[in-house]
Amino acid sequence: MGWSIKLRQRVLLTMAVLMMGVVPVSAAPIAHREVLPNGIVLLVAERPTVPIVVARLWTAAGAVQDPPDRAGLANLTGTLLTRGTARRTGPELDAAIEFVGASLEAGAGRDGLTVSLSVLRKDLTLGLDLMAEVVLSPTFPEPEFKRNVAQIQAAIKRSEEDPETVASRALGRLVYPEHPYGIPVEGTTESVARLTRDDVVGFYRSKVRPDTTVIAVVGAVTVAEARREIVARFGAWPVPPGSLPTVPMAAPGAAPAVEVIKRDLTQATILLGRQAVRQTDPDYFPLAVASSILGGGSSSRLYGRVRDEGGLAYSVYSYVVPGRYGASFIVGAQTRTAEVKRVIDVLREEMARMGRQPVSERELALAKSYLIGSFPLRLETSSKVADFIVAVEVQGLGLDYADRYRERVAQVTVPDVERVAARFFAPDTFNRVVVGTVP
Amino acid sequence: MRLRTVLGLALVLLLVATSSALTQPVSPVVAETLANGLRVLLLEDHRSPIVSFQVWYRVGSRNELRGATGLAHFLEHMMFKGTPTHGPRQFGELVEQHGGQHNAFTSQDVTSYYVNIAATQLGLVIDLEADRMKNLLLDPKDIASEREVVIEERRTRSEDDPGGFLGEEVSSLAFKAHPYGQPIIGWMEDIRRITPEEIRAFYRTYYVPNNAIVVAVGDFRASEALATIKRRFGAIARGPDPPPVLAIEPPQNGERRVTVRKQAQLPIVYLGFHVPDQRSKDAAALEVLSTVLSGGRASRLYRHLVYERQLALDAGGDYSYFSFDPSLFWFWATAMPGQTPDTLERELLAEMERLKAAPVTGEELTRAKNQIESVFVFQEDSVHRRASLLARFELIGGYRGKDQYLEGIRAVTADDLTRVARAWFDFDRKNVGVLVPLP
Repeated sequence: MGWSIKLRQRVLLTMAVLMMGVVPVSAAPIAHREVLPNGIVLLVAERPTVPIVVARLWTAAGAVQDPPDRAGLANLTGTLLTRGTARRTGPELDAAIEFVGASLEAGAGRDGLTVSLSVLRKDLTLGLDLMAEVVLSPTFPEPEFKRNVAQIQAAIKRSEEDPETVASRALGRLVYPEHPYGIPVEGTTESVARLTRDDVVGFYRSKVRPDTTVIAVVGAVTVAEARREIVARFGAWPVPPGSLPTVPMAAPGAAPAVEVIKRDLTQATILLGRQAVRQTDPDYFPLAVASSILGGGSSSRLYGRVRDEGGLAYSVYSYVVPGRYGASFIVGAQTRTAEVKRVIDVLREEMARMGRQPVSERELALAKSYLIGSFPLRLETSSKVADFIVAVEVQGLGLDYADRYRERVAQVTVPDVERVAARFFAPDTFNRVVVGTVP
Repeated sequence: MRLRTVLGLALVLLLVATSSALTQPVSPVVAETLANGLRVLLLEDHRSPIVSFQVWYRVGSRNELRGATGLAHFLEHMMFKGTPTHGPRQFGELVEQHGGQHNAFTSQDVTSYYVNIAATQLGLVIDLEADRMKNLLLDPKDIASEREVVIEERRTRSEDDPGGFLGEEVSSLAFKAHPYGQPIIGWMEDIRRITPEEIRAFYRTYYVPNNAIVVAVGDFRASEALATIKRRFGAIARGPDPPPVLAIEPPQNGERRVTVRKQAQLPIVYLGFHVPDQRSKDAAALEVLSTVLSGGRASRLYRHLVYERQLALDAGGDYSYFSFDPSLFWFWATAMPGQTPDTLERELLAEMERLKAAPVTGEELTRAKNQIESVFVFQEDSVHRRASLLARFELIGGYRGKDQYLEGIRAVTADDLTRVARAWFDFDRKNVGVLVPLP
């Protein structure tokens, strides 16, 4: 509520919900799934009405695979995939895909490296040809390597202007002190400076491989067609020797810490965070509900106390961030310098209260019906469906996860919420970062 | 790494600037104007069991006077604070309880509210929106606390954001007479000063059915939806027609320039030129031009400034096709470390000289047109975007305008682009903003 469109949009409400990893109501299987002989998992969802196709290729070469002294390698490798192939230069790839009003983007996240294609149905052949080229025959030209290193370093530098980015980076370090999740996906200006083209080529050769790859094709395409087109391009992709190094699950960190980062700003960004549990843990569902009650939307407790009644913040929220190798729970707000202490007190108070007193049946019902009822909105477009089915596959949740999620959320009781809140919301177990001018 | 959109306006317009012309040559839109002047547009879309319901008021910062800026946006916040029937916070609770997502935004020209929700809840949403069109509480106590929330929002978007801050400075320089020079969120001093009486008067003046458009797209029967809308909104009396905006920006004489020194990481340059609105014969060419300049990595500014010469981290050009009154064509660039704002400014101007001197290539022109058309097709995938698009075109003359819009785009020639560049990018009439970072 209350954005002016003049400036960059921040979709906190929506984000918070997406990050909980919620899913759709649907009785029919959401996608066709099969495993190709070289190990690629192919997912296809037919959505015939609009003449577009979205394809996502996810491979397990995320930042978790960065060598310890090579932070940012997966990210740089991802960025460079579209910067030159055996057949085309980077600018030629750009020109070819954009000429038909399509887009082909590649980049890495924590868990994986993703190549995304959005294309009109009539240009599907071209789009998939280009997608296969960038995945199977990237050349990582030296000038492109240098250019992208400089751009990534500049982007990291600029991100120091954004207090939320600064705060989340610091918080990540505190929440995951001994795990790759604690290191920024893009690395640091220093770590990126150390990367060489050989690092990139080596990373690509050993870690971008079919047996850890998921391809989702969604839109105006049939299962048979999608299978034919994907097998034709990726069926002969050989499995390299060896296997991906195992990534450990995140272990709970040491004693929680507090970090203050001084910036010349009129507003302070406060982030509290700790490790939590992912979707495979039975407590995940009560946790998602509890987080929704605490800070999930405009009817949440934090929104009511901090924003509606207190006028202390425009932005205040809580959410769960599940990943393949761990999960975190985040509570945050931005407030004027003078109120930092008061806002931290209110956040802590509300978190503690969740574990001390039962929530009302009304609050519980509202949170549950929101989580369940908002599923269809999250599967509205082909792009959203592709994101969802890839996430479900990657997290190992099964294509029936949507239905199970709905059931599990519906089963959450008042004592469940109190129990997980006592387990996960105790304020003293949280790391804390404040960015701004702190009194 | 995500490239930051420096001018959010650009982003929003790109997102909405599309239509269904390609897939549905005959529009099944049900359009009706009720006796009280309310304009209603309904479009059945049965692909998902959801609906996007939107109310657009023809009021934005354009309707504000000096000394009372930010009124439209402040009122937008207050629209979530309840009526006698639906108390404070009930709007959010009722919507979220049914899994709905809701939000609103204020622009220079309009204030827009949306709810995306299970189609079975359309009646509830119609009830809520009709109620708050007429019966807003506007309790002085709520106004007092919400004032602080708006102030926090302003801190996030403007005071503490180098790009946002610079954008305000350039706009206020470029417009001497027309309210487009005022920030949508309002100046801090005005936000602090505005009285409940002024908000009340603003609400009474502009929130009348004859100043609003209701749009719904989704899984409903248009005849039934129309009947419900007539019953609920039809009961609201027509108000006096709101006063027209009379201000006309006089021709600019001479360059205007502002330099902001602020804690930041990288220099930013903005250049703004006064251009005509969509009623002009040059509008389609300006729209194509902005895509030639910044639509993707093959676009001119990206290719030249970011890719080839590595002077900028990002660069672009943007035209506001849907603007009610003549606005600015913006150019912007963020410097790579080590580059000066002077270099960026000189190079942006050199790009304009190039546009004036020689026609763009056939490939550039066709690519830009294909990009604009394909965005329209991608929009069709979302009921929310379909509804927004209908409203956007209705606001500038009729929802059918999207067909004409595309015809206009297709008719643009390379010579048109040269002509409009020469006509409107007059270096003696530029508005320049430079952000010089302080450590």
